[in-house]
Amino acid sequence: MALNASLRSTWNLSALRRLAQRGFSTAAVQRMATEKPPNPKTFKIYRWNPDSPTEEPRMQEYKLDLSQTGPMVLDALIKIKNEVDPTLTFRRSCREGICGSCAMNIDGKNTLACITHIPKEEPSKDMLIYPLPHMYVVKDLVPDMTYFYKQYASIKPWLQRKDAPEANKEILQSPEERKKLDGLYECILCACCSTACPSYWWNQDVYLGPSVLLQAYRWMADSRDQHLQERLSQMENAFSVYRCHTIMNCTRTCPKHLNPGYAIAQIKLLMTKN
Amino acid sequence: MFRVASIRLAALVSRARVAATVTAAPRLAINKPNMMPSIITSARWYSDNGGLSREKIESRIINLLQDFDKVNQEKLTPTADFSKDLGLDSLDTVEVVMAIEEEFSVEIPDDDADNISSVKKAIDYIAGREDAN
Amino acid sequence: MGTRRLSGLQKDVLRLYRDCLRAIKTKPEETQHRFRAFARQEFEKNIVSVKRTDVRAIEYMLRVGRRRMEQYMSPNVRDISFI
Repeated sequence: MALNASLRSTWNLSALRRLAQRGFSTAAVQRMATEKPPNPKTFKIYRWNPDSPTEEPRMQEYKLDLSQTGPMVLDALIKIKNEVDPTLTFRRSCREGICGSCAMNIDGKNTLACITHIPKEEPSKDMLIYPLPHMYVVKDLVPDMTYFYKQYASIKPWLQRKDAPEANKEILQSPEERKKLDGLYECILCACCSTACPSYWWNQDVYLGPSVLLQAYRWMADSRDQHLQERLSQMENAFSVYRCHTIMNCTRTCPKHLNPGYAIAQIKLLMTKN
Repeated sequence: MFRVASIRLAALVSRARVAATVTAAPRLAINKPNMMPSIITSARWYSDNGGLSREKIESRIINLLQDFDKVNQEKLTPTADFSKDLGLDSLDTVEVVMAIEEEFSVEIPDDDADNISSVKKAIDYIAGREDAN
Repeated sequence: MGTRRLSGLQKDVLRLYRDCLRAIKTKPEETQHRFRAFARQEFEKNIVSVKRTDVRAIEYMLRVGRRRMEQYMSPNVRDISFI
């Protein structure tokens, strides 16, 4: 720890010196380092450790100075993990909202930590961070996605053809046909929507949930796919699709601003037509 | 592999009948068919168990328990309770029931297995399974 | 003589143990006794450490146990060693 601190201070000093060499006056450099007034904020984060399963989950408080923290919630989490508590566990990867790893419940909303700004309100309110709701927890903010991925696999998320395409030839698509996939292909399967859906909370074992259904519709809507009938008949039961009661929490929460509720409605429409 | 599969199948088929089985099996099971007019010899004697007499089942189960080193041998009788008399815990009981499965080449479904808690219950159960052998 | 009544949770635990024993039969005969000893030890470890009323912890361990069993069921796992 002491070693760490001294390393950091030498680094700071040499950085300052470098800036000074680039023509900044020492006073200006010092002003840059101290310019932002301290802005403390408390983060209350769900903690649970699988190594001691008999211990209750708890909320742990961390105080950070926002003037020394990046703008996003993920920046705060990484800062906590790096500088305060290395045992804090969460998933993250791309830090730009394309991988879906850091999906969690932040101040009551399922979203991606990496594209959520830390609100800088006055006076500062405590920020509450939980794992995605109604999922089994692996550790702290890490939910168990095993079943979710099994459900995704069950809809066969790949192009299915009855005839083989001609050798060395692409399967062409008109611009209109391609347009049908907009608002569907962007889904990153972060599971924010599914875990915001009350129907999914109570019927996870039988209901596919908005995220997987949006993906299912993505393949139904694809002009190159030839297994529409099979895809529809797989859903021909009281649960897979019809547990959706258009509560629309999915669309409200989607961090990519997609509309799973609409996609499910389209599936229902296809089911009545076919 | 095939054998296991066929046993499973047989277990499934017979489950429905087992449910209707009378638990107390007549002692003279083997002789019974001979005493009956030939016309009904094909009738099913649930407790007959295709030649497995109650005595036979009993002795095989007792034998099996004698080999099980956790069993309190002094109290080993055909009516002994697995936990109260033989001193077995619930995991031991699972192991015993599994051994019985193997001994008689049957697969015992979970719901039935949960209820086998004494030597007598084990004998009754196997006596009711006509696919046991 | 009263039959012991098992709670649903107790039944689930015993079922997992039974499933483990069944799964072990698919392992090479000469290593089965090690798998059996391992399974038994894992169950006994937690019988001591977890209160019988701690439903949340027991349910968690059931899930973990099932997942581990599924992992060990892979035909690639042919033997096991443990302390």
